[in-house]
Amino acid sequence: MMRTCRALLPRPGRRLRSGPGRLWDLPGDLQKTVSNFQNQLKENVTNLFKNPFFDEKRPPMQAEVVIAGGGVMGWSVAYWLKALEPRKNTLRVLVVERDTTYSRASTVLSVGGIRQQFSLPENIQMSRYSAYFLRTINVCQEHLGVAGEPAIDIQFNPSGYLFLATEERAAMLEENVSIQRAEGSEVILLSPTQLKKKFPWLNTDGVALASYGLEDEGWFDPWSLLTAFRRKAISMGVHHCCGEVTSFTMAFYDTVTPTGEERTVSHIKYARIQMPDSLEYCQVACAIVVNAAGAWSRKLTEIAEVESSVSKTKQIFKLPVEPKKRYVYVWHSPDGPGLNCPMLIDTTGAYFRREGLGGNYVGGMSPAEDEEPDIQDLEVDHEFFQEKVWPKLAHRVPAFESLKVKGSWAGYYDYNTFDQNAVLGLHPTVLNMVFVTGFSGHGLQQSPAAGRAVAELILNKKFETINLSRFSADRFLSGEPVLERNIV
Amino acid sequence: MLKIIVPTMMLIPSTCLTATKNTWLSPTAYSAVIIILGMLVLNPGDTLMNTTGLLLGSDQISTPLLMLSCWLLPLMFMASQSSMSHNPAQQKRLFITALALLQLALMLVFMALDLMLFYTTFEATLIPTLMVIARWGSQTERLGAGLYFLLYTITSSMPLLIALLWVYNMKGTASITLLQLLPPMTLTFWTNTLLWTSLMLAFLVKIPIYGLHLWLPKAHVEAPIAGSMVLAAILLKLGGYGLLRITNLLTEQTTSSYILPLAVALWGALMTGMVCLRQTDLKSLIAYSSVSHMGLMTSSILTHNQLAPSGSMIMMVAHGLTSSMLFCLANINYERTHSRTLLLTQGVQLTAPAMTSWWLLACLTNMALPPTINFIGELTLMVSLFDWADITIFLTGLSAFITSFYTLHMFSSTQQGTLPTHIITMSPTQTREHLLMTLHSAPSIALIFMPQLMYCQ
Repeated sequence: MMRTCRALLPRPGRRLRSGPGRLWDLPGDLQKTVSNFQNQLKENVTNLFKNPFFDEKRPPMQAEVVIAGGGVMGWSVAYWLKALEPRKNTLRVLVVERDTTYSRASTVLSVGGIRQQFSLPENIQMSRYSAYFLRTINVCQEHLGVAGEPAIDIQFNPSGYLFLATEERAAMLEENVSIQRAEGSEVILLSPTQLKKKFPWLNTDGVALASYGLEDEGWFDPWSLLTAFRRKAISMGVHHCCGEVTSFTMAFYDTVTPTGEERTVSHIKYARIQMPDSLEYCQVACAIVVNAAGAWSRKLTEIAEVESSVSKTKQIFKLPVEPKKRYVYVWHSPDGPGLNCPMLIDTTGAYFRREGLGGNYVGGMSPAEDEEPDIQDLEVDHEFFQEKVWPKLAHRVPAFESLKVKGSWAGYYDYNTFDQNAVLGLHPTVLNMVFVTGFSGHGLQQSPAAGRAVAELILNKKFETINLSRFSADRFLSGEPVLERNIV
Repeated sequence: MLKIIVPTMMLIPSTCLTATKNTWLSPTAYSAVIIILGMLVLNPGDTLMNTTGLLLGSDQISTPLLMLSCWLLPLMFMASQSSMSHNPAQQKRLFITALALLQLALMLVFMALDLMLFYTTFEATLIPTLMVIARWGSQTERLGAGLYFLLYTITSSMPLLIALLWVYNMKGTASITLLQLLPPMTLTFWTNTLLWTSLMLAFLVKIPIYGLHLWLPKAHVEAPIAGSMVLAAILLKLGGYGLLRITNLLTEQTTSSYILPLAVALWGALMTGMVCLRQTDLKSLIAYSSVSHMGLMTSSILTHNQLAPSGSMIMMVAHGLTSSMLFCLANINYERTHSRTLLLTQGVQLTAPAMTSWWLLACLTNMALPPTINFIGELTLMVSLFDWADITIFLTGLSAFITSFYTLHMFSSTQQGTLPTHIITMSPTQTREHLLMTLHSAPSIALIFMPQLMYCQ
């Protein structure tokens, strides 16, 4: 040890440095110091100008439009309101979402399909518009691209939908296809032989006719769409807060309808938002409330209507939207259809689609009317797959006789029990509540179009791009359903 | 003077001690009585000051503004009744106290005969206004608005303090009456411009002049209704009043530095008029229209013309009443729809036609329609500018045209157009609101027949 210490002592010819020599890099050092200083200064100055009283968690005290529900519908409406307003900062928009983890939201639990094969022209037009929107989603000024941020990858697989029909339903299928083609969708009809040629893995037993979408049909990632809408809307100045709308402060008036009957209408003045995990609540003065609460829309409407039952008028309107639980199963089948696999909807109602490129498939089935699962929680019933779904799929695709279920989940449909179609428009008696709910399983694919329609209704007082007046809530009062025949 | 000041001071304890059910009734009635007392100092045709001692007095410049501020106090109470209804009783009393303190400071400003008292009360008006904006405004932005308002005014009035002390030093007196009577000395110091700027800057910011007007849209939009009323009607006129007083004191300065603010103010009148056409927020539109009217007044005062004081007096009273009326109307709309944007409050003629007639009256007076006093004031100011330089007629004419353009745009946007379905049913107009509108427009119309009350020679 003494030797090494002595070796380290300064001697002539030996420098004091212990490491390799470094040149004193004056320009580089200066550069680094200056940039450090700039960053620190920027941070300090922004902290200085940050309003100490401004609380990001709490909503503003007044907002022109309060959107209750932060799923893809709510954020779509928020985005379109900002995109379509005539000048910047005309409207203050607030989106209120009670669960920022989206653990029970229909959007993120959706299978994510988009199709134009509906029987109502309005549904077809909405899906076509949404497909166009998804294809141009990264165009910055027009759609959801934000300058300086990475491009959105919506993971759109344009593999098409394949509807199979038996003898009895072949005529209806043909009719639907002619409506779709009249609207401009690229849908073709296939006979069993053509089916066999195109999809050799398919068992065409019992299939009389099939319709296949060639363009703008397939599936995409719902979470990407939700975050894209959210990011763009926030960059355009939409306020958002985490909380639950628990009650409204309303004003009531007695009016006479054009038909002569007396009615009490009401007007929402304030929305009361309960902060998460706390007893605190905030009152937001609002001009319009948008009900984008999905499966819980009826609960929100009842909050608005509960005051009227206090004032002893008969409740003339009940929103017929209920949550219905649907199961989705993921399985792996190495001998399955492979890449040439559309979203197949069987004659029995079972459906499946390819997921990724590794031989995984996603599918399920809507249960019969009397077998509706309990909606209290999102637990999955595996027996349902074993007993109901698998046999049907195995019959249709022989390769699915051997498959291994990898996982499963359950999600809610905001199911419109009246006619399984969207509810878009104003509430008949609560004058400033706008519905954008009740999509019964095809909400995600129609979200850009529906959001735009509601924004046009609010800003311009009428629908402009697509006329969706048939979906107004008045049809529940007059009793005329607008039925959609192609529900999956 | 004490007969007005002491009752205003006593308004505060009387508010705090009245029963809860009379919280609004008592101060409103009390301040209405103070109006009558205030009329005792109205003395047209008297060029000498009504004075009681060295500190307080009134003359032809200050009396109309004093009357305006007395008149507006009960109107402010009436206008705030509905928007403050959900606050607890103590906070309502606190609000009334803040307004009463503001009123006290305003009265003292207008009656001050001593330069130091004038300056102190000029600054003292800021505190209650800040309280009202920052505490009872309705958006988060009100804090930034209060900050802008406070800092703009305080920063620009620091030089004013120093300049007033210089005047006291040079002249040996700080009394406005005496200063007017002293013989002028020709001063050719190199600091003439600096002195002129420091004396003028505070008032130019308060009026406001175009380049320094940023605080006004923020403060007017974020303030509650009473705050907006008092800001638009009176606090802007503090600047005008100060400007009129100071130009009397500065007769000896041989400086041509008045030309720049004159030009900027005139140009600003035109520019803010055009900005109004692009506004989507109703209160913001009315705030910018205030800047436009005051810009015309500023440039006219700066010409040192003989017509300028009378023109600006008429303009100040007329604009005070009109602008306050417009803010009240905007608030009436806001209380029903909770939205200030022109987009969502269209077509209300169908639901509240009574209000449409008040809207029309307010818009017509804002446009300076003959024979209203707005017209007389604007015409006098335009003539005084024309006398100074022929070419200003282009700017003033264009600015008057743009004023009528945006005023009619405001009227047709709010009253006509498609009624949105969500405001088809609005609560009916209340008597209180009708009374408020009447009390704004009645003096305006009455003064058409007796403008001598506002003239000054």
